[in-house]
Amino acid sequence: RDEDQCDAYLCSLARDGIQALLTKVWDLPSEQIDNSIYVTLPKPVTKLPREKPVPKGKEITKWEQYAREKGIKRRKKGKKVWDEVLKQFVPRYGYRKILAEKEKNWVKEVPDNADPYEDQFAKAAEIKKENIAKNEYQRLRNIAKHRKLKVPNVGITGNEYASAKDLGLATHYARHATASLGKFQPDLPNEKKVKGLGKKRKHEDTTGDAEVEKKRYMAVLEKIDKPDLNLEGAVHKQIRDENVIMDLERRGGKKYGRRSKMGGRHRTKSDHRAAKLGKGYHKIKAKIKSKAKFGGTGKGGSKGNFGDMRKGAGKGK
Amino acid sequence: MTVMKRVVKPRTRRAKRGLEHRAPKITENTKQCLFFYGTKTSDSVRQCLKNFYSFKKQDGKYLQKKKRYLPFEDILPIEHLSQKYDASLFCTASHTKKRPNNIILGRMYDHHLLDMVELGLENYRALAEFKNEKISAGTKPCMVFCGTQFEDVTEFRKLKNLLIDFFRGVEAQAVRLQGFEHALQFTAIEGKVLFRSYRILLKKSGTRIPRVELEEIGPSLTLSLRRNKFASEDLMKRACRQPKQLKPKKVKNINRDVFGTKLGRVHMTKQDLGKLQTRKMKGLKKETNDKKENSESSNQEASASGPVDVDQ
Repeated sequence: RDEDQCDAYLCSLARDGIQALLTKVWDLPSEQIDNSIYVTLPKPVTKLPREKPVPKGKEITKWEQYAREKGIKRRKKGKKVWDEVLKQFVPRYGYRKILAEKEKNWVKEVPDNADPYEDQFAKAAEIKKENIAKNEYQRLRNIAKHRKLKVPNVGITGNEYASAKDLGLATHYARHATASLGKFQPDLPNEKKVKGLGKKRKHEDTTGDAEVEKKRYMAVLEKIDKPDLNLEGAVHKQIRDENVIMDLERRGGKKYGRRSKMGGRHRTKSDHRAAKLGKGYHKIKAKIKSKAKFGGTGKGGSKGNFGDMRKGAGKGK
Repeated sequence: MTVMKRVVKPRTRRAKRGLEHRAPKITENTKQCLFFYGTKTSDSVRQCLKNFYSFKKQDGKYLQKKKRYLPFEDILPIEHLSQKYDASLFCTASHTKKRPNNIILGRMYDHHLLDMVELGLENYRALAEFKNEKISAGTKPCMVFCGTQFEDVTEFRKLKNLLIDFFRGVEAQAVRLQGFEHALQFTAIEGKVLFRSYRILLKKSGTRIPRVELEEIGPSLTLSLRRNKFASEDLMKRACRQPKQLKPKKVKNINRDVFGTKLGRVHMTKQDLGKLQTRKMKGLKKETNDKKENSESSNQEASASGPVDVDQ
């Protein structure tokens, strides 16, 4: 078949090629390592592209430049330092150095010219923090110089790669730095509110002692006053409603139109209610009935009064 | 910029090591390859991708999920992947009605696209179809390119470069003589490339050099060139730039003569040959009595002025 012939031909071609290649390879200088012969390959001829660009050299920092000018050489420092006070070798940096310092400085003398109520330890800690900040500033300044950016001398060097969270916080504080504490501050078009600002609410455990939970809930219940039957209020309301109904009947069931005869000024609450009543008279009847039922419980005396009043009202009719 | 010159320094040793591994270096890491599929694939193209991955298992990453990427339309997601996995080579497979059995081979420079070639797969025979013993994974192949088109046609020349880069594997300075196991053959015929993969068997011959015999093991495919996106000249030039440290150092002043002796030149300042410190011959020395009578005779040895050729 044509395909098989093709394959066979290709195989023979390849064989010749590989034979030629390996002949050359066997002629290369070889060495024996661990019972196998290794052949050193010559440098590649085909120009293959690199994966990443050529690394740039290290940039000299400000200090390194100064040291170069002055001829200051780097001295190798030991990892441990002899401490006279503790009489042992203490590491120059790290966790154990801090421990050793704590042991040494369990007491600090207050100098003569200092305020006796000043906290010397806090002062020392503050100075240390400032040193660290200064170091950090200088490091960033070196990097900025290398990248040819400008760094302000005074003020906070903003982080141009601030995370979304940081930027959100910044906008939050900027927003609230107004006279109205951000309440009337209009939103920007795509502004997102930052989550997690404000007091965190502590939730109770879902598991735990049942007794404790029960006590807690009962205490809450006791704190709430029992719903008082505001019977007086209800009574007044009832009287008012009945007065309104009486007024309405007196007038002949006509409710005031939009333009009242009395004029706008004299419209009272009952007039408004009357206007309403013109539509829904049935509601009032229902209310009365329900109030009667409700009046069953509670203080007996007032119930009696209530009953009297009702009778009185009926008589008045 | 080195790792330590970052604004945010790594907090752990492990992170630092990871960053240094990915940073640009003088001698680079082996190029990693990403294998992934497009939305629709056919059986043969999928098998082909898997076979390619088996060649590059040591420096390759096989992504299981199908990616909805179209490299020729938008290369950005693939560049992101390359950044994520620190891979400079990629290989995608897809199958559409317009482009059946499609394979795209590509490479990156600095995680941006450098070269990309779309190849159509025909007459595919998988690794599994050849029922014989295979080679161990990760061996460097010997590559043979047959056909004048690989020299004449620019596209084929660039394709050759890409294929070498793709199948090369680890860059080695020394190779074990028994380690020649794999051979790849690319033949350019009528605008198509035939890919064959063999296993090298070294048979005894009369001479020191063994006789080579090949046994076909691997996938055999016919690739047709479809679209491509090769790098511009200056981008390629920039990518091929090597650091100065890798350039071989020129040794000056050593030359060999006809006989093979190593010669070098020594340059001296002008000397007063009268005051030269030479070997004192007692016999030639004047006696003290005769000194006042006879004029001082200078011992002049055979000398030539100017630079002296010294045998090394």
